[in-house]
Amino acid sequence: MAAAGAALGVAGRPSFSFAKEEYDLAVISGEPVAATKKALEVFGGISRFVKKGIRVVLKPNMSFARTPDVGTTTHPLVVATVAEACIRAGARQVLILDYTLHRAELCLERTGIREACRNISGVYVQAVQERKFFKEIPIPQGKVLDRVEVIKEVLDCDVLINLPVAKSHSATGVSLGIKGLMGLIWDRESFHSRVNINHALSDLATVIKPQLTILDATRALTTGGPGGPGKVIKTDLIIAGTDPVAVDSYGVSIAPWYGQNFKGRQVEHLLFAHQRGMGKIDTDQLKIYKGTL
Amino acid sequence: MRTIVQALSLLLFSLLFFLATYKLPDWLLADIYLRLDPLLGLNAIFAAREVIGRSLWGLVTIGATLLIGRFFCGYICPMGISIDFLNHLFFRKKKYKILKTETSLRKAKYLLLIVFVMAAITGLSLAFLMDPIALLTRFYTFFIYPLAITLINLLLDLIRPLSKALGWITLTHLHYFQPVFYMSAITLLIFGGIIALNLLAPRFWCRYLCPLGAMLSLISPLGIFKRRVSEECNECKKCQKNCPMGAILDDPRKTHLQECFQCRTCVHVCPQNAITFPASLSIGGEYSKIDLSRRGFIYSLAGGLGVGFLATHTPFTRLQGKHHLIRAPGAIPETEFLRTCIRCGECMKSCLTNTLQPCLWESGFSGLWTPKMDLRLAPCDQNCNVCGKVCPTQAIRSVSLEEKNHAKVGTAILLKEKCLVWAQNKICLICDEICPYNAIVFRPVEGYGRPFVIASKCNGCGFCEQRCPVLGDSAIVVVPDGEIRLKEGSYVVEAKKLQLEFKADPGDDKFILEGSGFKLDGDTGEKKKVKY
Repeated sequence: MAAAGAALGVAGRPSFSFAKEEYDLAVISGEPVAATKKALEVFGGISRFVKKGIRVVLKPNMSFARTPDVGTTTHPLVVATVAEACIRAGARQVLILDYTLHRAELCLERTGIREACRNISGVYVQAVQERKFFKEIPIPQGKVLDRVEVIKEVLDCDVLINLPVAKSHSATGVSLGIKGLMGLIWDRESFHSRVNINHALSDLATVIKPQLTILDATRALTTGGPGGPGKVIKTDLIIAGTDPVAVDSYGVSIAPWYGQNFKGRQVEHLLFAHQRGMGKIDTDQLKIYKGTL
Repeated sequence: MRTIVQALSLLLFSLLFFLATYKLPDWLLADIYLRLDPLLGLNAIFAAREVIGRSLWGLVTIGATLLIGRFFCGYICPMGISIDFLNHLFFRKKKYKILKTETSLRKAKYLLLIVFVMAAITGLSLAFLMDPIALLTRFYTFFIYPLAITLINLLLDLIRPLSKALGWITLTHLHYFQPVFYMSAITLLIFGGIIALNLLAPRFWCRYLCPLGAMLSLISPLGIFKRRVSEECNECKKCQKNCPMGAILDDPRKTHLQECFQCRTCVHVCPQNAITFPASLSIGGEYSKIDLSRRGFIYSLAGGLGVGFLATHTPFTRLQGKHHLIRAPGAIPETEFLRTCIRCGECMKSCLTNTLQPCLWESGFSGLWTPKMDLRLAPCDQNCNVCGKVCPTQAIRSVSLEEKNHAKVGTAILLKEKCLVWAQNKICLICDEICPYNAIVFRPVEGYGRPFVIASKCNGCGFCEQRCPVLGDSAIVVVPDGEIRLKEGSYVVEAKKLQLEFKADPGDDKFILEGSGFKLDGDTGEKKKVKY
């Protein structure tokens, strides 16, 4: 179990093999672009997930009309790096989507994500705020939710890559990958008022399953989340993996949240997701590639 | 030639109107038509009892009218153009007879002008009721703009399958925010009425009612271009029948100079080619007199003063100090605001979030159509300061974004009996999540984290009020208490003086485990009872 803070400077295991399924997680310390590239490399390159001619949806957090330094939204360079890698791997189309809390055009502008992706052809940054772009699907294994309306494009795409940002959250403790999935659904109010949000999130994770989660932990908003402003700790990490619970669980360990250290197990929605078989939660049982650039 | 100028003018007016939104560049004078309107300027300057910089643009129109004559009505006025256009569309075949009441009707606009000016002198901004530019801007804001967005979205929906099939991603996802306004119907009725008056006479509005036209006609006989009829005239009176303003007298050689807006229709229809508009320095002449009866003059004088007195001496006036409305950030103090605002609706059009809405009777007659913030409907975006930028009289001051965000409009108060967390122990944090300033913090009370508002960090943006998931009125509402309304000077400085800070203060969230999403007995899973 990694200690809290940003002291992950040690190089991990020898990097003689980047074979498939070799690692559960890639934890790379470094600048956003280089660290993201390296993380993809650990998993055998983006082409493992993105085949020629397919349609990819990237789901960063661009829900708030705030600049990247506030730590409420995914770093634009992380988004652009992944988007570009997808295009290089031959993706026909990369859609960067989020249902934003603040006004769409302002989120696109302020987060810097539209600007960062402007010159990559085949990449489209879209914020949706209208119900007509959503489609209802059932949640067969739902405990508190039996159906949910999801952005159509997410249901139609070939690959979904989740690009959350690491931040605190006053209802769910942390907002990482699984919490970030709420940005793809229409009715979020009921998560707060009608049902228990932690159960609802694990229900949601049974139907929206990103093939890859790349957690932007280049900085962590450790208080005042999810909207900020709050205390931003520079963590300089990119955490990637195919297991959404594992990525989030590791993400919990990188910084003290509200001044306290937690484990993934102590985050209710992650624990529920783990208990329902959606991923590994104990980071000491994970095979982690650690790298410093 | 005139049609082209008119089309261009209406196009420019519409273009500037639609551009008046986030993120309007500073150099673009989106409100230029309103600034150029000398009646609105005079109204604001008289009512506010001070010189308003932007209103001085009206002098340009005055100057040009002094030079050229009443060309504004015929070439520039977008209301006149709309009337011409719709007249052509609906009443083209209509045969008009000269109205019996023609002579007395002509006086009406002058009498109205006097009413408006007198009302302004008493401190009542009233010209907005009939000023053509304000009227049309309101009509555009409350009717044309929402309608245009609906139609555009409808079109986008229609072609969406096609855009999807063709892989036009941006078009596939394009959807424009649909603005909605109170009082759209009333505004439409008024505009419809103005157009319907054309059944009685062409440009009925401009001939008989328009107070701006009246104002310009007072000085138009001084203009250098005047209609002249040569010896060739055979008195066929074709010019008289075709004059849209009825400015040609029984003797077709003579002209009501104050009514003529130099459209030169007479020049084109004259079979004898007897009519010209040469430049001449003669002033007026006998047909440029305005013959107001003394009685009418006195009545309208008294009427204006009376309306002004009635409207400014009501309980609403006394309550202005403790008014209940949330005005736009940067709005000057309430009394001055009511005097200065010309109710053009431009701020409401430009408002990014659609929170600015017109008042009906909330602050009495003197507050008609003034903008208020409806924060349950929409919040005030903290990246946008466009309402002040487009305000032609600066009733809402144009200030920098930082200044605007310090122009506190009110303070949020939490209604504990309604709040899901306080009243029902539910896990809800939406107000906290959405607050741009961390003005809402959770503190432990009876084992639960409960929301509190830190008043000194709240600038009244209303995100909390809008987002509160409680049905009906929000459990957290913004009240005007604590608002900063300055006529001049810096809001930042004032906010500092009051020890307000609309910024991050990261240490203020008191963490408590219960309901935090974390739990320390994590290994045992769902031991704790889950609250629904």
